[in-house]
Amino acid sequence: MRPSFFHHLHPPTIPAAQARWRHTLGAGGTAVFLMLVIGVTGILEMFYYAPNPQEAALSVQTIAYHVPFGWLIRNLHYWSAQALIVVSAIHFLRVIFTAAYGSPRRFNYLLGLALFVLSLMLDFTGYILRWDVDIYYPLLTGTNLIKTIPLVGDFLFRIAVGGDSLETALLRFYTWHIFGLTILIVILGFWHAFRVRRDGGIAVPPPTLRVHTERISRNELVRREVLAMLIVSIILILLSIFFPAPIAPAMSVREAVRESVPESVYAPWFFLWVQQMLKWGDPLTFGVLIPLGILTFLAIIPYIFPKPADADIGNWFPKSNRAAQVIVGLIGLFILILTLVNK
Amino acid sequence: MRRLLPLFSFLFFLTFLLVWYLDARQPDPVELIPTLTGQPEYCITCHADLPEISPSHPVKTFGCVSCHGGERLALDADLAHSTMRGGANPSDLTVVEESCGGSNCHSGSEANDRHHIQRVMTSIQSTYAGAIANIRYTFGAQPDLNARFGIYTVTDEETKTGIKSLSAFDPASEENSFIQQFGANCLTCHINAAPREGEAYARQTGCAACHSPTSLSSSEEKQHSLTTAIPYAQCNTCHNRGNYDLRTMTFVERTDQPTNRLQDYYQPIAQFTKCEYTLDCVDCHTRNEAMGNGDLHANKKDIQYIQCKTCHGTLDELPLTKTLTDPNDIAFKLDFLNPIMDLKLGDTIIITEQGEPIWNARQLSDGTFEIVGKATREHFNFRPVMGTACEQNPNEQESRYCHECHAVEK
Repeated sequence: MRPSFFHHLHPPTIPAAQARWRHTLGAGGTAVFLMLVIGVTGILEMFYYAPNPQEAALSVQTIAYHVPFGWLIRNLHYWSAQALIVVSAIHFLRVIFTAAYGSPRRFNYLLGLALFVLSLMLDFTGYILRWDVDIYYPLLTGTNLIKTIPLVGDFLFRIAVGGDSLETALLRFYTWHIFGLTILIVILGFWHAFRVRRDGGIAVPPPTLRVHTERISRNELVRREVLAMLIVSIILILLSIFFPAPIAPAMSVREAVRESVPESVYAPWFFLWVQQMLKWGDPLTFGVLIPLGILTFLAIIPYIFPKPADADIGNWFPKSNRAAQVIVGLIGLFILILTLVNK
Repeated sequence: MRRLLPLFSFLFFLTFLLVWYLDARQPDPVELIPTLTGQPEYCITCHADLPEISPSHPVKTFGCVSCHGGERLALDADLAHSTMRGGANPSDLTVVEESCGGSNCHSGSEANDRHHIQRVMTSIQSTYAGAIANIRYTFGAQPDLNARFGIYTVTDEETKTGIKSLSAFDPASEENSFIQQFGANCLTCHINAAPREGEAYARQTGCAACHSPTSLSSSEEKQHSLTTAIPYAQCNTCHNRGNYDLRTMTFVERTDQPTNRLQDYYQPIAQFTKCEYTLDCVDCHTRNEAMGNGDLHANKKDIQYIQCKTCHGTLDELPLTKTLTDPNDIAFKLDFLNPIMDLKLGDTIIITEQGEPIWNARQLSDGTFEIVGKATREHFNFRPVMGTACEQNPNEQESRYCHECHAVEK
């Protein structure tokens, strides 16, 4: 059989050791697939979703209950989006723990971090698009945190929300969600994938230091990717069947405002750690500066830590970047604990 | 790998079959577009067996959501019921304004006789102002019997009784322990209170406390019905259930086992005439008496005014009557809601001293009267007192004087 377009998207061969499941966990490729699922299901939802405050929540209910298999599309969209965050985080941790961020891969590492941030922003804007009673306080908190930034806070708020109050937020968030952030993530995604190829493919020690020398063909690689896609699809569909996406009655900004915040108000799960930190004090410090600080630190890891030894590239938990592994592990643990404590 | 791909392809195909199967099992949505709202609702997808609530609230016109709230598009019970007002009872007084209110419905103007909600909210059966004032006065918490507190805060700007507002009664802030006990033990019989445990007390709250009679159905089933034909048994869920002991501040339930209507009705210490235990409460007690007249009152004595002479007259006076000449007269509306009389233009009905129609009592051509039980549809004839051998003193019209001759000893 002659190699198809999809085969030709891949290098002719790749090292067999690094092509094993337990080496890369297939996380990066899974992330790409999840983005495809998100894109297709999102476009389908656009046929029914109404991006105005009066009809938004009702249109979501229409999709969930009255459009044939609308429930499936919506739940797939939701679960693939949440899975994307988790899988991207796993991919990032894999890159750290296999010392795969060293030069020439440093810029690609930054692209990956940017993609992760964009995924979080897409997850948040998508969550707001439900425009139901549960999203009001997260929306208020998130946008108010932007306002706390000195000098540029109000300006950034208006870019995010489209006006001076939250009434215009829905339409602006919709535009960000389906276009602004999407086009950025598509461009950066392609760039990220291109850089993987240009930087020499999957991180692996240079040929002189390589222990395993077997390689697998592009056909075999594509077969493995198809298998991964099938497994992920089965999991997504089962999740969609047995755990429907959250749905709640419509909200109106006027009615949502209360004198005091109700007891059980939660941020979306991926920001629970920030919600927990906000209990400790000043919003700017704990809601903006510390998360940005963590992001900045992660971004400069390839630049401030010594470059991992060539022989270690692509091996799990090598010695030469132990410091980076420990620190990233601790940060991850910190975020995980804060998330679980809040629930 | 060679085997895994076909295996997982097959499993993938199976999940689609699972999706298709589960989707096919969902009930087909049943749409209802009420003429009043024009917005599609899907409640009857699951609730098709629910009976129509009343001839004056047809589901084709009102739908379900305009009264009950709820998410009209949802087909999942949790979401659909999440914004329902008052749980299963939208007439609970905490939500009655949104459910039953509106100028075209039950919170309109007094001129159109559409201010039911305002009347009920100020009525003594809702505010319990008389009981509260009496207890506070008895135990020294207030110097007189003027009403200051009700079960909830309520105001009446246009009051004709001088009572402009009542504050919410808070037993916890009372100093006297008897009043606190009263608050703990004795507040289960006002319209918005959850009733006491027990089949004899089973009723709903709000408008449904009277208008959705539960007493004739099984105690677990809440009736989805609204009626003006309220049987005595419904009133009996609060009234005539026992006595309060002021010394111990407890409710002492009646111990007899009522076996007939005479005994069901009243407790074994009273004397009553035949019509008092044959007719239902609503056959005599007027709408103003039961639902309030829109003003705050300090005591039920202020609002209860029906007497034997209202229907029977005295030796000197015939009962007040009114000939129906206006097709929009309220008597026709009341007859329409409970068609027992087939009232026509030109019919003469009895009216009370305050002008309220006893629309189920009609004067016949020979000067006697007929009355039809609103809930029982039993038909009775009676004569006015004038011209009979009655020995009553026209100045002594309390019921005990009529009882001296006419009471049936139990």
